[in-house]
Amino acid sequence: MIRTWLRELGLGVRFAAGGGRSGWARTALTAAGVGVGVAVLLLAASVPTVLDGSEARSDARQPVGVMGEDAAPPGPTTTLMAWSGTTFRDTQILGRLLQADGDREEAVRPPGVAHFPAPGELVVSPALREMLETEGELLSERFRGTEIVGTIGPEGLKGPGEPAYYLGADGLDTDNAWRVTELGMKGGETPLDPALVVLLVVMLSVLLMPIVVFVATAVRFGGERRDRRLAALRLVGADIAMTRRIAAGEVLFASLLGLVVGALLFLVGRELVEGLSISTISVYTADIVPVWWLGAVIVMLVPVIAVAVTLAALRGVAIGPLGVFREGTTRRRRVWWRLLLLAVGVAMLVYFGPDDAASTVNEWGISAGVLLMLCGITALLPWAVERAVTRMRGGPLSWQLATRRLQLNSGMAARAVSGVTVAVAGAVALHMLFAAVETQQRVETGHDTDRAQAVASRLIDEGAELGPFVDRYATAEGVTSALGLVRGWADLDVALDADGNRPGTSFQIGDCRVLRELIEVEACADGDVFVVPSPDREALAPGDRLDLAGPVEASAESAPSWWTVPAAARETHSIPGPHGDQYYGVFATPSALDVSGVPSLSAVALLDTVPGDEDVVEHLRNLAGVQEWNEGVHVLANTRLTSQFATIRNALFVGAVVIMLMIAASMVVSTLEQLRERKRQLSVLVAFGTRRGTLGASVLWQTAVPVGIGLALASAGGTALGVLLLDMVGAEVTDWLAFLPLTAAGLGMILLVTVASLPMLWRMMRPDGLRTE
Amino acid sequence: MTGEQSGGPLLAARGVHKVYGSTPALAGADFALHAGEVVAVMGPSGSGKSTLLHCLAGIVTPERGTVHYRGRELSALSDAERSALRRGEFGFVFQFGQLVPELTCTENVALPLRLAGADRKSAERQAREWLERLEVDDVRHHRPGQISGGQGQRVAIARALVATPRVVFADEPTGALDSLNGERVMELLTAAARDTRAAVVLVTHESRVAAYSDREVVVRDGRATDLSGLAGAA
Repeated sequence: MIRTWLRELGLGVRFAAGGGRSGWARTALTAAGVGVGVAVLLLAASVPTVLDGSEARSDARQPVGVMGEDAAPPGPTTTLMAWSGTTFRDTQILGRLLQADGDREEAVRPPGVAHFPAPGELVVSPALREMLETEGELLSERFRGTEIVGTIGPEGLKGPGEPAYYLGADGLDTDNAWRVTELGMKGGETPLDPALVVLLVVMLSVLLMPIVVFVATAVRFGGERRDRRLAALRLVGADIAMTRRIAAGEVLFASLLGLVVGALLFLVGRELVEGLSISTISVYTADIVPVWWLGAVIVMLVPVIAVAVTLAALRGVAIGPLGVFREGTTRRRRVWWRLLLLAVGVAMLVYFGPDDAASTVNEWGISAGVLLMLCGITALLPWAVERAVTRMRGGPLSWQLATRRLQLNSGMAARAVSGVTVAVAGAVALHMLFAAVETQQRVETGHDTDRAQAVASRLIDEGAELGPFVDRYATAEGVTSALGLVRGWADLDVALDADGNRPGTSFQIGDCRVLRELIEVEACADGDVFVVPSPDREALAPGDRLDLAGPVEASAESAPSWWTVPAAARETHSIPGPHGDQYYGVFATPSALDVSGVPSLSAVALLDTVPGDEDVVEHLRNLAGVQEWNEGVHVLANTRLTSQFATIRNALFVGAVVIMLMIAASMVVSTLEQLRERKRQLSVLVAFGTRRGTLGASVLWQTAVPVGIGLALASAGGTALGVLLLDMVGAEVTDWLAFLPLTAAGLGMILLVTVASLPMLWRMMRPDGLRTE
Repeated sequence: MTGEQSGGPLLAARGVHKVYGSTPALAGADFALHAGEVVAVMGPSGSGKSTLLHCLAGIVTPERGTVHYRGRELSALSDAERSALRRGEFGFVFQFGQLVPELTCTENVALPLRLAGADRKSAERQAREWLERLEVDDVRHHRPGQISGGQGQRVAIARALVATPRVVFADEPTGALDSLNGERVMELLTAAARDTRAAVVLVTHESRVAAYSDREVVVRDGRATDLSGLAGAA
């Protein structure tokens, strides 16, 4: 029996592999469709490996070491490492300052760095090198005084597009840098927000399900012709079981070929991926390896799906020795099980959320719920199309031709657009979730950009450095005004507490214009002093004595710098500064508190800039440079998106575009195939004198009717799914019209498919189609 | 004991009724076929002659009446059993060859043998012999789309006879051919059938084609009349 089965499967393979030009074209179409699907699935199966690889390299460059008094003693291999880094436009550039305690060749150096950079020497990633070449002085100015001496290798970067640098430095010590004894600390993992997990799960479900639908559609390319071939076999004695095995062999060959094509596309795709960089996401080719068991599932599942879909399709037709009889028109589609799928999906989504108390989410439950709901929406489509087209009457000839054709067999058209339905329903839900989560994830920074647009800060050795610092920024290109402020920390002249610490307070010195940005002040003149109680401590009182060099004094053995709160000091309240922070302690005007000789202070400049000029910020960052670990520029913005969210959004956009293009391609193939099958009928219509425009319009209607119904169903279902998901993450609907742009995209697809089909239609309309041999 | 063994007809139909929708195609047709004879079934368009052929071959099941092949009631057989009959005992030639377009002519002719379990080499060797006999050996590597209608019918005849069937059903086998080609095809079909002692049920509306038969049956309004007075012998 097995030999018989194998022979029949082999006969199917023979049909698929040796059917001449048209046979090969059909097999190639199926293989190409399956191949594209397989390639996308293999890429998706590689995502965990990609993330692991990137994370492992990120961990490998993390320093093991501490700052300050607990730092390890210097040794021949120890390295001092300080955080540097900068931002250009919206791109974060990772930067580290390195300084060897001993011989540079012996010192611990980050992975991917062949030679330890000497002071002023720069080792850059390929992406940063390219940025420096393309962006010109606006970026290279920031690296003035440095020389590029090497390139960071792949083992030291998260991805090929990551901009990063290591800069050799001097003057680092354990007060401002880590003494690193080795690299490779396991980085602390930030668990994703449950809302983001839901978003990721839904996104993967939505993106992958159309791929499976696409594969299922692809294996039915050439289905009508295959059925006729099977009928011919029935005439010479093949029974029903034999024809099924022959059909299975045929599609098995095409799907196995599709696996090979998919593997090749995957191999080509992974080479191309390295050249792509979306925002800061970039991937090394070597990282794109499918998780072995996911890869195995794909390899096993695709032929199984192919055979199952084919056998299921054969159940809908009666293949007899005299020909093929479709049973779909005689047996009405049942709606109950389609609604049941939807109902179970909804029930699962309701059951698995919302749960405010839990910080984790049941990804499997949500995925199953989303998939069931999407399956239900897709399953409803053939029923809805059938019900709709049976009621269609009258209209112009093109409409009549289209609706009669659909009435004859609406299932095929519904299947073709099922991928669109899944994609649009999923995308509508995602878009709603996306819009709502974006609102949630948009972090309110508290910045007040009406009062300042940027803040520059620098650790200074003594108060006298404030003036030159502020002046430097005040005269920078695009800066309209700059307010300077000095901050420091003072010890109170009281006994040590039980833990051996001395209580302290912060102090801020600036003119009245600056103080008004930080505290409530009605009357202010140079020489005034204000005190603001902190939430956890009483206000300082007149007569309290402070050691302005207190914390520094302990470690640096510097002399105390005593200052007494004057009797005229007035108590007031703090207000959030332009940068959103609130300060407490002493607020003094320059004449009241002279800090010119006080060590270890922070100089802050609040900067007003010319509105609308993006380069101003870059000029300010250039002033700060990258060589000084103790100076930086912070650009103020009212809100910012979390980086996690921006990453997901980028991935969604790319995925959605790929899916829509794939579905459009499969629809073009299906339409062309339908046209080829109806060559004779089209020729007859032309012989009757039917105009080209009429037939073209009929093709348009044949696509438009099922797609239109599919889009309506997808919009309604997607919106319902979106509402459920939003309820799950506890967010409000912010965009009820999310379906509009996607529906417009769907309509665009109808036009695209029709236009792509017209050349074939015109060819088919030549009278020579009437020839039978 | 089969009808054949008892000297009775190989294939016999009695009181066969068949209705398509509300249109009666056969209304109590009787028919008998003996081993090795060639019977022409004639009649105007829509008379039910093709339906009679389909009922006799077990392709279509009648609503009423019986069809016996070698004593076995066809409607009592399962689909697999009827398929096995078509594979081993029956052969078919239709107006359009019903050839599988993906296969070469040799592979098409070898198909019934391969479906019956023969290995490829022996099946194709036999197919080649039949193609030579029917004078179309030169197109053995061609696919159906690459040969003429007459050649296609000869390949179809070869396929119908390759498994040495007991009955060949031919439905308007020359319907798509010119008279010259039609006559040659009929000569080859009847000669080959007689050589292998296969009986032939030949549906046609052309008297010149019917002339190749041993006797003629006319179907009119769903009933069959044996012009030689032998009808109802079963």
